[in-house]
Amino acid sequence: MTSEQGHDLTVNQWTDISSRLRTEIGEAAFQSWIKPISLSHRDGDIIRITVPTRFMSDWVNAHYSDRLTALWRDQDASIKSVDVTVLPDRYSQARNEERENCTALASSYTGPNRRQKGNSVQGEDKASTISAPVDPRFTFDSFVVGKPNEFAYAAARRVAEADIVPFNPLFLYGGVGLGKTHLMLAVANHIRKVSPQRNVVYMSAEKFMHRFIRALQEKNTVDFKDQFRSVDVLMIDDVQFICGKESTQEEFFHTFNALVDQGRQIVVSADKSPSYLEGMEERLVSRLNCGLVADIHATTYELRLGILQSKAERIGVEIPSKVMEFLAHKVTSNVRDLEGGLNRVVAHAQLIGREITLETTQEVLHDLLRANDRRVTIEEIQKQVSQHFNIRVSDMQSARRARAVARPRQVAMYLAKQLTARSLPEIGRKFGGRDHTTVMHAVKRVDELREYDPMFAEDVELLRRMLEG
Amino acid sequence: MNRAHQLTFDLVHRSALSREDFLIAPANQQAVAWIDKWPDWPSQSLAISGPPGSGKTHLAHVYMAKSGAHLIDGSQINQINVRDLVETNPTLVIDNAEAVVSEDGADIHEENLFHILNLLKETGHHAVLCSITPPARWKVKLADLKSRLNALTHVAIADPDESLLAAVMVKQFADRQLRIDHGVIDYILPRMERSFRCVHHIVTAIDALALREHRNITIPLIRQVLDTLNQEELEI
Repeated sequence: MTSEQGHDLTVNQWTDISSRLRTEIGEAAFQSWIKPISLSHRDGDIIRITVPTRFMSDWVNAHYSDRLTALWRDQDASIKSVDVTVLPDRYSQARNEERENCTALASSYTGPNRRQKGNSVQGEDKASTISAPVDPRFTFDSFVVGKPNEFAYAAARRVAEADIVPFNPLFLYGGVGLGKTHLMLAVANHIRKVSPQRNVVYMSAEKFMHRFIRALQEKNTVDFKDQFRSVDVLMIDDVQFICGKESTQEEFFHTFNALVDQGRQIVVSADKSPSYLEGMEERLVSRLNCGLVADIHATTYELRLGILQSKAERIGVEIPSKVMEFLAHKVTSNVRDLEGGLNRVVAHAQLIGREITLETTQEVLHDLLRANDRRVTIEEIQKQVSQHFNIRVSDMQSARRARAVARPRQVAMYLAKQLTARSLPEIGRKFGGRDHTTVMHAVKRVDELREYDPMFAEDVELLRRMLEG
Repeated sequence: MNRAHQLTFDLVHRSALSREDFLIAPANQQAVAWIDKWPDWPSQSLAISGPPGSGKTHLAHVYMAKSGAHLIDGSQINQINVRDLVETNPTLVIDNAEAVVSEDGADIHEENLFHILNLLKETGHHAVLCSITPPARWKVKLADLKSRLNALTHVAIADPDESLLAAVMVKQFADRQLRIDHGVIDYILPRMERSFRCVHHIVTAIDALALREHRNITIPLIRQVLDTLNQEELEI
């Protein structure tokens, strides 16, 4: 049998298996999880299949891998297992090709003295196993520069573009959500692109600590040290999380020194400058201080507007300038809040399939823009309505039935029902001990009037908005 | 009045928590739409907030049935290894998530939730967070967490309208295997506080009284329950 025939057979088997799964797990689950699977090839006694995302691969592994293996065995008893890998979509495929080219380049650069064991592909794998994933979207190009961050930006660029270490470490600090991580990832993306042979590791301080503690538990600190000390560029994000963790700090200190001695670049970020990090050992503080310390300041209105415009352009969504100005004006805390706010507005618009307007923006970000949903009280409603119609508040409780007071009273009852959770009997009580049926009648009457009297409807709407603040 | 009271066992009744049993209304349709849309979400996490009894737990169970999510309570977050939790579970539900807000300075909760949100990004895994108040309003001390909470995709379950209240009431009676006349619901609705919480109080009280006094669920019985509840409210 030729390998081509063998492949055809495997394809037929897969068609059988997926149709069996379709009946077993139902159409919905099939569409979500099995249909996106593609058969890659048979590799000895292993069947290799691919899925488009890492999430799906975790999912298929957790829920269907046993069943898949069993079904393959029914078809062919020699199959040992089914292996799920992530097949990158077109976009990341391009990146992979790029990486392959880079690897080829790397091996041509790699002389016999290079510390890597085996070939450069392994070296690449080794680096990616200890580095956290680096999101390719965070680049220098996608970083919006303004007065508050231009110094940190320039420093990060310098580190990324320099052939020899310009300053060590680069210490980036600033409040939360101002772009420290973005700058670090931009450094990583840049170096990986132009000098793929350099081993760039980015990780959070939490991950550094986690790996170190695990290495201690598994009595495998030698490997841990090897992994970190063979890094060309080490970037540790949010270093404040190892404050007060003595043994981790000790290990970090040694790693730090070893790398600096070998002329490798270190980039560290924190929420405060080194000297203000409480619970950080003195000697480590002085190390962190001895390179370049660059801070990122709070955003300005212009920078926020710039960030929103660039973000909107990147995601390719039409956003009215009124909405962007509103967001830049209202969400001043930091960039993460700002971008998060924009994302929420866009996600909502896509979910319900409507355009983005100032009103929907206010509605969606209502929890962010206002500290609480204070409930309106019936008393406040009575006061506001009386003022609006120019009658006395006491008329809300009075027995007078003249239209000039009866109508506003009905409006107030209507609003009390719409804006509070109070029961109708209780609303009645607050209006001079009236019966709940009177309240029901008022609600019905106001609804009718709103139908055919637009002026009246507008009045009620205005009152409602004033009361909701 | 001196009636001999029959003692009743507080037997746990099982609520129907599947997607088919979820009552869709304007108040919650966006939350349902997000759950239905999974895994096609714009971000890793979805926060659902709403008053007690508004169906957050029910929706969380719908999500669990759909995704096989692992359920944890916000108050347990300090007792777990967060990296293991997120790495071994592609989907998570954190119920009662605002329990991480520490009043006594036990910041381990906040720090752990912060790491969970980062790990979700790192692994591409998904989580649903349920809480009464929207995460953007929690009084957290950790600024890093605060800004991540502000950025969460969030959907609020709004106050119920009357038809939803009626439907929830019918469902809660049905969960207790009680079949109720429409006239009964029509009688209760205009006389009760219009909240999910109150539906739960009333149904529980009516069930208990009917069971204790071996009575059918009739308007006089309901009037008695509503009077008692109103009395309690006035005393508070």
